Amino acid sequence: MSEEPVRVDFAFRRELAEKLEGNLASFCYQCGACVGDCPATTYGSDFNPRKIMLKVLYGLGADLLTEDSILWHCTNCYNCAERCPQEVKPVEVIIAMKNMLADRGIYPTPVERIIGTFEETGRTVPPSPAVDKRRDEFDLPPIEPVPMDEIHVLIGLEEAEEGSSGEGEEEAVETAAETAEEGAGEKERATEEEEAAS
Amino acid sequence: MSRYAFFPGCLIPTRYPPMEFAIRYTLPRLGIEVVDLEGASCCPDPIYFKSKDKIAWLSVAARNLCLAEQQGLDIFTNCSGCTATLSEAWHHLQDPEVREQVNTRLHKIGMEYKGTSRIRHIATLVRDEVGYEAVRESVTRPLEGLKVAIHYGCHLLKPSHIMQVDDPNNPTILERLVESLGAEPVRHKNWYLCCGKACQSDDIPGNMMRDLLRAVHEEEAELLCLICPTCFGQFDHGQYKVAKDFDEDFHMPPIYYFQLLAHAQGVPYDQLGLERQRFKPECLQRFEVESHPA
Repeated sequence: MSEEPVRVDFAFRRELAEKLEGNLASFCYQCGACVGDCPATTYGSDFNPRKIMLKVLYGLGADLLTEDSILWHCTNCYNCAERCPQEVKPVEVIIAMKNMLADRGIYPTPVERIIGTFEETGRTVPPSPAVDKRRDEFDLPPIEPVPMDEIHVLIGLEEAEEGSSGEGEEEAVETAAETAEEGAGEKERATEEEEAAS
Repeated sequence: MSRYAFFPGCLIPTRYPPMEFAIRYTLPRLGIEVVDLEGASCCPDPIYFKSKDKIAWLSVAARNLCLAEQQGLDIFTNCSGCTATLSEAWHHLQDPEVREQVNTRLHKIGMEYKGTSRIRHIATLVRDEVGYEAVRESVTRPLEGLKVAIHYGCHLLKPSHIMQVDDPNNPTILERLVESLGAEPVRHKNWYLCCGKACQSDDIPGNMMRDLLRAVHEEEAELLCLICPTCFGQFDHGQYKVAKDFDEDFHMPPIYYFQLLAHAQGVPYDQLGLERQRFKPECLQRFEVESHPA
């Protein structure tokens, strides 16, 4: 063990406590019941849900909120939540910390790509002519587009239109809303062109 | 006919249309009318978008639930991930504070979450609303002698207090559903393992998949039956990767339960849409003999 004293980062703990189920780690008494059935512990070398909860208790956010964060080794299997006698749900605390990573704009590349696809199309896998063709072979109805204006309001990408608070935030939101509007505009133009062509 | 709103999610309609075909073929034969849910989006997924912002994730899930409420129907899902998101949303929205937070967003698009529609995974729907015996009666060609390994995956069962499907430490639902087809379910020693899709590590999913496939192989199963398109993708693609990385080819074809049911209900092998799988369940072809006598 290092001789360095542990310095609890209370700002990290307060920020985590504001996330849904982020504060559950406070009930952890370090029994280790979450470890035995954790597949990421069994089949990996670094991941240990008990140690992650300990870092949360100590407020060692800087160890966890990194570009190559160990948090992304979690398989989301929920075995830890099943085993925990304190109902800590380590997996949910880990997801709450992933929300904090997202607030800082940090994602693994494949994750960022899928989130981008959802924010653009309302689906994690968008329809395509190849998909339509395959669906046709099985007499399946066509996939309808998702009303993205509604989705964007719900996920906060169009909040600026409603008149937002927080100045710095407003700027960021407006940019996102503009991008979304431009996207919608392009779609409208594309539809008009299609109609003109037919 | 009982009517249920069909929440197809993203993966099955786009990547695996034959699975959707099998659902639309088999359910009416079990007395269930499939009602399409207009305007539905991604659930959203419990791995990626949930990791960005749990409240935004809940809000979109609540919108999907509102669409079913507007039709006065309960929802069934065909993907364990969608089941997880929508069931977790239902659970969180019982908390008045969370519900108010989400409804504030929903009001901006003229909706309100009321909590009147319940969510069920299609396997649970069949067990509870149809029953194993009625499944057995719908079978026109029993898959006798077929040894089927079961993969439960994670989100059908866990978190168990939210999913409320079966005992997470000793589930029986998929074994019973497979038995109803006349086949022999096989439980292998790694049955409780995850498919590994959510894990972003380079080595964990491969190590786990290899161990899981070894266990299935030891039991001499002919097929691996599952009920989640994400697990399916992991087994079809992941198995290919295991074969390459570890030089161990188990050749264990995965199959979505409702395609197996469709086959048992009489859909010929070559109409099940299995030709694009990397590992094809060719063992099913032996049940064709009766329907195409020489």
